This record gives sequence, C-alpha cells and structure tokens, in this order.
Amino acid sequence: MAGDNSLASAGDIAGGHTVRRYDQELAKLRGIILDMGQRVIEQTQAAVAAVVDGEVTQAYRVLDREPQIDFLSLDADEEIFRVIARRQPTAVDLRIVLALSRIAGDVERAGDKAVRIARQALVLREIGIGQGGIPSDALKELLRRLDDQACCMFERSIQAVAAFDVELALGVFEDEPRLFGVSDEARDFLGQEDLAGFTPRQIVCLLTSAHALERIGNHASNIAEQVIYVAEGKDIRYRNREILIETLRRDRGL
Amino acid sequence: MSTTVDDMSRRIGAMSSAELAGGRESRVTVGDVTCANPRMVCRDVDVFYGSTQAIKGVSLDIGKNEVVSMIGPSGCGKSTFLRCLNRMNDTIDGCRVTGSIKLDGQDIYDKGLDPVPLRAQVGMVFQKPNPFPKSIYENVAYGPRIHGLTNSKAELDEVIEGSLQKAGLWNEVKDRLDKPGTGLSGGQQQRLCIARTIAVSPEVILMDEPCSALDPIATAIIEELIDELRANYSIAIVTHSMQQAARVSQRTAYFHLGDLIEVGETNQIFTNPKHRLTEDYITGRFG
Repeated sequence: MAGDNSLASAGDIAGGHTVRRYDQELAKLRGIILDMGQRVIEQTQAAVAAVVDGEVTQAYRVLDREPQIDFLSLDADEEIFRVIARRQPTAVDLRIVLALSRIAGDVERAGDKAVRIARQALVLREIGIGQGGIPSDALKELLRRLDDQACCMFERSIQAVAAFDVELALGVFEDEPRLFGVSDEARDFLGQEDLAGFTPRQIVCLLTSAHALERIGNHASNIAEQVIYVAEGKDIRYRNREILIETLRRDRGL
Repeated sequence: MSTTVDDMSRRIGAMSSAELAGGRESRVTVGDVTCANPRMVCRDVDVFYGSTQAIKGVSLDIGKNEVVSMIGPSGCGKSTFLRCLNRMNDTIDGCRVTGSIKLDGQDIYDKGLDPVPLRAQVGMVFQKPNPFPKSIYENVAYGPRIHGLTNSKAELDEVIEGSLQKAGLWNEVKDRLDKPGTGLSGGQQQRLCIARTIAVSPEVILMDEPCSALDPIATAIIEELIDELRANYSIAIVTHSMQQAARVSQRTAYFHLGDLIEVGETNQIFTNPKHRLTEDYITGRFG
C-alpha cells in the first residue's frame, strides 16, 4: 500500500506546490501512515488467526512486529513537527497535517488492539484452549466475520487516506451498523448462561478479543472522519452518521 | 512620483502575458465584502493606467478598529487598490479611477475634495522607511504644522510625545529628539514614520508592505504595534507575508490579476478558503 503513494499524489487535493520539496515531505508523511495502516491490517489478521485457530506462533509474531508500528508512529510525529516548523502549512495543507497527526494516533492505537488480541491467544493457550483453536465452529465463524468487518473498514479507511477519497470514507461509515451487528452477535453468544465448553476466564479472553476488533472498526471510522475533514474542510466528529452521509452526498451531487 | 503609466502598463503586461490566455474575465468576489461598522466603503472600483485595467470592479469595506490585509501575487493590484484609498494614484499621469470610495460617507473622489487633508485622514506607511532628513522631533512635527493642527509649542510637544508613544518609540528616543531620524535603525525609522502618520490624527492608516525591509524582531514590534493601533484606527495592510496577514488582520482580501477573488475572516481564509485561487496562493501552489 505504501508503494502506491507516489510523490505526485501528495498534491492530489489541490495540485503540486511551487516548492516541490514540500510535496515530497507531505508524501513521505502520508507514506509512513499508509505503511502503518497496512501493517495494522496484517497484525490484526494474524492475531485473530492466533485466537481462532490457536496458531500461537502468529501471536508471537504479532508481538515481535508491534514495535515497528510504534517506531513508524514516532517517524510520523517527527515529519509532522518538521513540516509545521519549516512550511507553516495553511488551508488544505494545514488540514492534511492536522488530520494525518490524528490518523497516526488512531492507526497506532488500532495496532495496540491487534497486540491485545494476540495476547488473548497466548492466555487462551495457557488456560486450556489448545491447538485447533476455539472448540466452537459457530464462535469461530462469528469472530472471523467480526475480523473481516473490522479489517474491511480499516483497509477502506486507509485507502481513503491514500487519495483523501470522500466516497471511500462514507463507505466506512455505512459499514458501522454491520460492525456493531456482528459485535453484538459475538457478545450475545459469549454471554449465554449455559455456554458449554468454556470457562469464565476463556470467555473473558474471547470477549476482550471481540471488543478489540470492534474498536479497530471504531478507529477506522475516526480515520474516515479525518479524510472528510481534509477533503471538505468540515469537522464532522460527533455528527449523526445517517444525516451526515445524506448531506455530504447531496452537497457533492451524488 | 516617478512611476509612469508606461511603467505600470509594462509591469502589468509582463505579469499577465502568460495568463492572458487563461482569460481575464471579471470574477465575482467570494465572501462578504461588507462589514458591520465600515469606515471606508469601496464599490465597483476600476483603475486604469492608460488603456490597461489594473483593478476590475473591486468592492470592499474597511471597518472601524479592524485590520484588513490584502494579499496576492506581485502585480495583482493590491498596492494599486491601497493607493486608491487616499488618492495616491492621482500622482500618476494617466491613471483613472472609477467607481465609488467613501470615507465616513464622503466620496473621496468628489471633485470638490482637496486630496491633501484627505491624506492626513487616510495616512500611509510605505515599504521602505522614509524619514525626512530632519530631526526625530521635526519628522513628527511636520504634519501637524502644515495642517495647522496645533496652536502652541506645548500643544505640539504633546502631540509629538503622544504620537511617539502610540508608535512605541517614545522610550527609545525621548532623550535624543533633536538627533536625525535617519540615524535610527530600520525598525525604529518605520515606527517613526508610523508616528508621523499618527501625528495628524488619521482615521485610516494604509500600510504597503511595512515590514518587508525589516528584520524579524523589528517586524514583530511593528506587528504588535499594528494590533495596538487597531484600538483607535482602521488599518489596511498590503503584505507578501502570508504569516503576517494571518497574524495581524481580522479580515483578509485576496487579489488576483486585478480582481478581488475572495474576502473573509482571516481565520477562514487561512484554514478553509472557498476559492481555489486563494487556496493555491496561500498554500504555495500558485503558478
């Protein structure tokens, strides 16, 4: 994904700067965040495989790779400081820098959620869920759906950042009800009074994993909000989603 | 004034030659050109240097106790427009101004109006500090004397001290008022010129790139002064520094090829401009 972020795309909102180095700096910053986003998706999928299928090597791999996302987050901060200090961004550039700073925070926190899921896989191994993973096909299927939904939203939000694409961002908002729906299903399943084959500790681990996946979807929505902020100049946080989607589509003549 | 119509035409011609192909049709200004308490009201102002039109139908209010910054690329007409506000363009042969510019309801281009007292009411500070080759005292005293604003030496002394204080220069020069104004530093000279402008009790102060010849410290002092002067005067400032416009003004007007493209609250212009040309210019994507 980072490879798609050509230097020329830095100016896709309003054309290139007279000072080309400025474009390169913004492209570098965005490239770091896209790279972080791609790694978070890989981390999440590996962590969920570790929980669902009991692949503990995947869990260890997630823990090993986590610092790379943290270091990229520090690189993003450094680039942001540099751009602010050297370029004094205004208008759309200011929005881009501010939004990328917030997005970097959301991506980094989504990476932490993947680590949390991986840790649950290791705990589950310790407390009796062995090779082969969760002993319930229904729950496996639920967690995979939740993983697909969260990762789909997250990937779409990162693609939206790559081009500051409003339509992709709106698509993330439209996916939210599905995310909450699957998340509720997982919670209901794990909340059954007579859930056979699971100890309370195991249920806590699985609930923690499901909750972390839901949070990754929430981070995707936060990222999508920032894409709208850059492209439209509107801060749409805390707005009613349905009205927002309708208004933005109408304003854009769609 | 050494500028001639030919000079101005050449400058505009050279600037616009590449862009003429893109069309120089009149553009409708984006944003509200009016303000709540206007001191100067400009409507449909056109300026011609001979057959060359430098300003095209510009309307803009300058409000009481506000700083309006005018920004735009070289040759866009911002300085030409500024100079219309106290009829400085009258000094250029072949320059013609149409439309209406009113100061407190009075048309400043009324044939019966004397431009000399007008230039006291609408004072001007130039790009390069231009103190007279006289003492600091005489630099400030010159205006009140020729306009007959004071009746006694004591009254004149009071005006001079007040003007130098308002210009933030009094403490630095009070012990050497008899020394030449030209002996001051660049920043002090510019503040002396501001004191000279203030001494004739203007209502509006026009500033044409007042800090372009100054270092960052002197610039910061002038910017602080502009903010203080706003309490008593209306200020219109032309600047090439985006950051300066963002720092000192409450409203910003963006000019392009003689058109006023966009005007709005400075905060809005620098965070979310509505016109693509404004956005391109302030983000450094222009041209």
